[in-house]
Amino acid sequence: QDSRCGLTGAGYRGILCSLPGEKKEFLQNGPDLQDFVSGDLSDKSRWAEYKGNLKREKGERLHLPPWLKTKIPMGKNYNKLKNTLRSLNLHTVCEEARCPNIGECWGGGEYATATATIMLMGDTCTRGCRFCSVKTARSPPPLDPQEPHNTARAVAQWGLDYVVLTSVDRDDLPDGGAEHFAKTVLHLKERNPKILVECLTPDFRGDLKAVEKVALSGLDVYAHNVETVPALQRKVRDPRANFEQSIRVLKHAKEVQPGVISKTSLMLGLGETDEQIYATMKLLREADVDCLTLGQYMQPTKRHLKVEEYITPEKFKYWEKVGNDLGFHYTASGPLVRSSYKAGEFFLKNLVEKRKTKAI
Amino acid sequence: SKFLNLELCCIIFFFSSEDKITVHFINRDGDKLTAKGKPGDSLLDVVVDNNLDIDGFGACEGTLACSTCHLIFEDHIFEKLDAITDEEMDMLDLAYGLTETSRLGCQICLKKSMNDMTVRVPETVADARQSVDMSKNS
Repeated sequence: QDSRCGLTGAGYRGILCSLPGEKKEFLQNGPDLQDFVSGDLSDKSRWAEYKGNLKREKGERLHLPPWLKTKIPMGKNYNKLKNTLRSLNLHTVCEEARCPNIGECWGGGEYATATATIMLMGDTCTRGCRFCSVKTARSPPPLDPQEPHNTARAVAQWGLDYVVLTSVDRDDLPDGGAEHFAKTVLHLKERNPKILVECLTPDFRGDLKAVEKVALSGLDVYAHNVETVPALQRKVRDPRANFEQSIRVLKHAKEVQPGVISKTSLMLGLGETDEQIYATMKLLREADVDCLTLGQYMQPTKRHLKVEEYITPEKFKYWEKVGNDLGFHYTASGPLVRSSYKAGEFFLKNLVEKRKTKAI
Repeated sequence: SKFLNLELCCIIFFFSSEDKITVHFINRDGDKLTAKGKPGDSLLDVVVDNNLDIDGFGACEGTLACSTCHLIFEDHIFEKLDAITDEEMDMLDLAYGLTETSRLGCQICLKKSMNDMTVRVPETVADARQSVDMSKNS
């Protein structure tokens, strides 16, 4: 997502001359190149003026609303992370799934808690879900046995306080990669017992023994994404995935490791209704899921599902309130929020606050 | 010489469009999309290369790891298709709205005998219009 306008000063003036009066006025009073470059257009007060269509009509492709445009990632921290990863042959889902937050998370937020989500078991998945652009193959390359060790080393080099480990689906492996996952957590905790580890796992095809292996590895947060409301599961996810199976994974993690915090994520904008979202949030709370993230679905390539609707920042704030009212430990809700977006910051901030009030 | 040029143009045009195979896609909303491909192109290639407006088609890029390119063929075309492999069968079995003349588009390559054929893009979720869902997971 590039927030820079394509028009240069000269070209802009040229176009201005040949337009009808009404349009000329609109352009003259609207933003110029300077506004885009200075970042002023990300100001919330201007979002309300956005006149573009937010709900897709038949045959149409929606344009990206202004609150979804992000800065091009650059800077010392970002480059340092990128180089470390390459030298250790590690992959991040940030890069593979083209996350728009990459600059922000890798740069470190206001609490200077850089979060990176490392993708274990390679960059190639055995499933082709209609929302995800990660590479797919029937038989991806074999696991790198050095990966758990290398990951632990890389994370130690960064001095990260909070790391998220995720993976592709590996339906080609007997345990779905659970052992590999668990080993990585063990190595991480060995090197740095104080680090907080979150694992965003696949569904392991419902294999609860595999879930158990990861849940008992010493991690702090067990995350698994339900992705969408039950009615859209078949349309959005691979048919080998489903809502009940995902709920079972989340429930089981807590059963075998009662101290663990569970987390899930929903993408909005795929055609779900408000009633469906609310019902799903209730189901998740009933399954004792602690943390919930809600973000806007964005179409990664033309082979993937079109965006049915762009939900406004205000609506996301509404869902955040609903989540808090339903009793989730925290609800991270916003157009660009992803499962591990600022995960460290939310977690630590929340934990610190709860400890103050002795709620935990 | 004017007529000679015209003839030459016609001949060239005839030959260059001669090896193209026309395929009609009936989209989920009933719209008919028509596109052309070369012999050997898969139906997934045809959809992608022609930017056809079929939502979420070919997520796994033709690696037999999804069933999003599921298409329904006419009987007489279906009978003449190359035999299905186990790998394709594994994925096709998971497709929603499976029929007796269903195949995965990424595995079907264009032949001259397919010229002007019509294929149907099935629904991906329960819809009033759709026929019986024969897939295992329904």
